[in-house]
Amino acid sequence: MIGIVVVSHSPRLAQATVELALEMVGDNPPPIAIAAGAGDGIIGTDATKVAAAIDEISSPDGVLVFMDLGSAVLSATMALEFTSTHGEVRLSDAPFVEGIIAAVVLAAVGASLDEVEREAHGAMDAKRGQLDHSVPGGPVVVSGAGEATADERLVNPDGLHSRPAAAIVKALVGFDAKLTISDLTNGKGPVNAASLIGIMSLGAKEGDVIRISGSGAEAHAAVEALRTLAADGFGELPGS
Amino acid sequence: MTAGTASLDQLTDWLSRFRDLVTEQQSYLTELDSAIGDADHGSNMTRGMNAVMEKIGAGGAGAVDELFKSVGMTLVTSVGGASGPLYGTFFLRIGMTAGAATALDGTALSAAMRAGLEGVVARGKAEAGDKTMFDAMAPALDAFDASLAAGDDLAAASSAAFTAAVAGRDATEPLTARKGRASYLGERSAGHLDPGATSTALLFEALAGALAKG
Repeated sequence: MIGIVVVSHSPRLAQATVELALEMVGDNPPPIAIAAGAGDGIIGTDATKVAAAIDEISSPDGVLVFMDLGSAVLSATMALEFTSTHGEVRLSDAPFVEGIIAAVVLAAVGASLDEVEREAHGAMDAKRGQLDHSVPGGPVVVSGAGEATADERLVNPDGLHSRPAAAIVKALVGFDAKLTISDLTNGKGPVNAASLIGIMSLGAKEGDVIRISGSGAEAHAAVEALRTLAADGFGELPGS
Repeated sequence: MTAGTASLDQLTDWLSRFRDLVTEQQSYLTELDSAIGDADHGSNMTRGMNAVMEKIGAGGAGAVDELFKSVGMTLVTSVGGASGPLYGTFFLRIGMTAGAATALDGTALSAAMRAGLEGVVARGKAEAGDKTMFDAMAPALDAFDASLAAGDDLAAASSAAFTAAVAGRDATEPLTARKGRASYLGERSAGHLDPGATSTALLFEALAGALAKG
């Protein structure tokens, strides 16, 4: 599992953001280290703290570093000169809150440094989609030998918000299949079903019909797994 | 001590004078920073340079590289704002370039400060006219080199550097910031001196004071 380092001017901002992200991953969070504030209660950043945080959670799987702004970026780049880790360390250009949440969820399901970095980088797409601003990147084209499709009406009250989206991403790990989801009701998608932000950008609400399409050796099983999740309301039905 | 070199004591005096100047000008630096930034440059630099003098005041640095490594790391850990990594990098590079010398002649000091400036540029990605400390530092080093090339001693060269740093600082006033917190303000950042360029002018005022004759 890759590690995530959170660099902020403010310890409270860093802790609150991590808290928000951890709400989505349950019992198996990725390694997370915070480097926030400089010295005694000073709002600021300290490159040596960032380096220590990187070293604390580094592994051969790599570390992705998130920064809030300004000197956090300078301190993080400087920290790369101070770390003793041999694992790969990358600095993410993602927006702080959205990027950390996307990264924590994906890292928790065992995604690679490349995958997590890419997902975090695109983390603004969900908000753009919610605001009806254009989301870059075209629809995902799916083709292949084994193909499967299923339509399912969303029954959970909040639709495909962050926790159901995370549940979908997690459920698909391990399947040899590529899946997309589109919202037939609002016409959005298809989006990559392995992308938390992609799923959230659909803005799918209760009552919407989503189309789950898959290709690959285990497409049927994967589509069936998502159907079951959706039919169960992602465990969010009242009384479930 | 010869007229042509900066001794370890003089280099330490440079830092001490810089601490005194940023302390004296603390409210002014913060006032400049409150106009276009986050109003902490004066307090950050004062806290950082006080921490530096506390660290090196205890003595122990036997050579220029040790001295400036200690200065750079102390700034990185105590300043908090962008000036921590930026001034920290400046002094760390000076130390790395100067090596284990106990005094620097003009050429060596110039090469060390030049490496410091390159470190600042690599760190902050600033260019001329971005309204940053670069706009005071780059002309100061050019003037320092030109003065040495004309046969001046360190006192005259550092004085020329100070004059050029002040001119560079003043030239930041009409500029629109393209780096740092001030860049969020866009054109509203014009009409104010850049706080970083202002503290950099103090850095060269301190150098000129430390290397002045007599």
